[in-house]
Amino acid sequence: MSSGATVRNIWLVARREFAERTRSRAFVASTILLGALGVAVALIPLAVRLADRATVLGIAVSAAEPGLASAAAGTMGTVLNGQAGSGGTATFAFTVYGDAVAAASAVTDGRLVAAVRIARGADGGLVFNVFSVGALASDKAQLLQVGAFAVGVLDWTRANPGATRPFVAPSFSVADAGDAASGAAGGAAFDAADYASRRIVGIVLVVLSFLTLVFYGLWVASGVVAEKSSRVMELLISAATAGQLVAGKILGIGLAGLTQVGLVLVPALLALVTSGRIGDALLGPDSGAGASLGALSPGLLLGFVVYFVLGFALYASLYAAAGSLLSREEDLQTVALPLSIPAVAGYFPAVLALSGSNSPVIRVASYVPLWSPFVMMSRLAVGRVEAWELALSLGLLALTVPLVALFAIRVYRAGVVMYGQPPSPRVFWRAIRGG
Amino acid sequence: MVLVVDGLHKRFGPVVALDGLSFEVAPGQVFGFLGANGAGKTTTMRIALGVLEADAGTVTWRGTESRRLPRSTFGYLPEERGLYPRMRVLDQLVFFAGLHGMPPDRARREALAWLRRFRAEDLAGRRAEQLSKGNQQKAQFIAAVLHEPAVLLMDEPFTGLDPVNVALLREAFLELRDRGRTVVFSTHQMEVAEALCEAVAIVDRGRVVAGGPLRDVRRSTGRRMVRISVAGDHRMPWLARVPGARVIQAGMDRTTVELEGGLEPEAVLAAAVGAGARVLHFEVADPSLEQVFIDRVGRPAEQELHLAPGLGDGS
Repeated sequence: MSSGATVRNIWLVARREFAERTRSRAFVASTILLGALGVAVALIPLAVRLADRATVLGIAVSAAEPGLASAAAGTMGTVLNGQAGSGGTATFAFTVYGDAVAAASAVTDGRLVAAVRIARGADGGLVFNVFSVGALASDKAQLLQVGAFAVGVLDWTRANPGATRPFVAPSFSVADAGDAASGAAGGAAFDAADYASRRIVGIVLVVLSFLTLVFYGLWVASGVVAEKSSRVMELLISAATAGQLVAGKILGIGLAGLTQVGLVLVPALLALVTSGRIGDALLGPDSGAGASLGALSPGLLLGFVVYFVLGFALYASLYAAAGSLLSREEDLQTVALPLSIPAVAGYFPAVLALSGSNSPVIRVASYVPLWSPFVMMSRLAVGRVEAWELALSLGLLALTVPLVALFAIRVYRAGVVMYGQPPSPRVFWRAIRGG
Repeated sequence: MVLVVDGLHKRFGPVVALDGLSFEVAPGQVFGFLGANGAGKTTTMRIALGVLEADAGTVTWRGTESRRLPRSTFGYLPEERGLYPRMRVLDQLVFFAGLHGMPPDRARREALAWLRRFRAEDLAGRRAEQLSKGNQQKAQFIAAVLHEPAVLLMDEPFTGLDPVNVALLREAFLELRDRGRTVVFSTHQMEVAEALCEAVAIVDRGRVVAGGPLRDVRRSTGRRMVRISVAGDHRMPWLARVPGARVIQAGMDRTTVELEGGLEPEAVLAAAVGAGARVLHFEVADPSLEQVFIDRVGRPAEQELHLAPGLGDGS
């Protein structure tokens, strides 16, 4: 058959499939439901900020100079908690630690958000070293710096009533152990808020990839089974080749799936932006809200689309082959679970990768074609991928897709004319042999 | 000959579906493919369509192997009817014609013309799941012929139709033949084949046991018959006195008598006249296709043959 006819038939099958899916009640209902869910998820950051108002951040203050620690704690407490508003809720709780090591271990244990160590520099100015393990958001760190400035001013006026030395603004630096540990594994280090935002974006993208590949993959399988059980397959297979039918179905359902993802994501993103603005208006500016979208870079979105397209082609091929071996739609339920196992097996390393882990298992999982759409996606989101790894992962996936598709078409061609046989290894084997 | 089926072999696991099946169809012919369920008719058609691959043997159309031909060469009416349940009939017809390369405008026009001639224009906007079985079959028939294929392969096209629709379909068959299409249809209803076919092949257990022009096939058994009708006593007791004459089908109107050995038809007529019967009708006839079928296959075609248990339609 000429290539023109092949393209025409793939397009015809895809268009019919797209129209049937998007017009179905199930599609409309699930789009509305998922859209509502998406908007609800998008409103979480606002809810967190509202809840955050009442959250007290415990911070240790220690200094070698006697009296400095307690004076600084008092000053910062007054300055910062006074700024929090007339509500009277303290945002920062400063505790004086005599021992800097004990303060650091309290932070490492998670009992405190950060430890501030104050020393005096050679120029007489104060040196603030803030130690944290990923728990101090950048906006809170900025507030802390404001507090440090106030401490510096008071210190200067107290120690030099005659202004014998010029005022030196206190130096302020934040060391985040969370960054230090993960930043070493490759890629650039970034601050805690950015990291949190990347994790949120990563979770959304991984969950979205997982749900869409499994969900729309099942659509492909159920579409094939429906064509078999209604026997319209007999007409189809005599009018178009197995390859055209499989490709058209995957394309049509893939486009319907992307349409639904778009319809779900756009309101969710709008809700996220709007709620950020509302939050800013109600609670004051918060750099964290901007950053939670900031991690969703065009490059990451492109990565998501590429991995979705290739991953969907891979999973949908397998689902099409599986569907062709079934005769009745009831049988689909018995194979739906085993069919989703490969995806679930890839989901776990993907979630682990989101926590910043870069173990060999996760690295290898991000190259394996069945898993890379999830695992590499989450590694990309948290931003710890070497260029060669991305190339290897995409290359393997791009190479596997046509191989699996050819295999699936072979199974499909044999499978669609087999009826009345329960799905068994024997049937499967016969279909692979082209039986 | 244009459609040549040559030495097809096909096994499904332990089941032999086709065992060296061969026949030829002349251009512009209506050809009957006769056999019980499970004899190998559907498998043969699927191989011709390129949906199944034969283990051995070929199907050629005008010298080219069928799987190298564009699929639009063939129009197929599957035995198991089925359409997209929730799609409008006209949309489905345009869709399937489109897969065969027909532009949508023309497909729409032709589909409506076909629906009109089947007195079923109102089906166009209905969804397939709302149609009666007979109407679904009409829609499916149109799906098979709409793209004007050179060869029509129809699997049991008359099954499940009422007499009015059978007549409509027969007319359509003859019209397609007159337009130069080659029509191959399978059936186990011998009287339909007798009424429509110029040539037939009788298939049993994956092999053709008799084939060729209808008249030749009917004469192939070497049996001779007369059909006689007399006024008065329909039981014709005088027939018992004619050696070698055997009543094989007694009827109120006509009685079919088989002539054995050297018995000439005239001897029956002479016996009737001798017995004083008033002969209303006398005809020297070939055996019916049904009789040939029973002779060759050993049982009537309606009797199910379970060749392939668990292979529902590996027939």
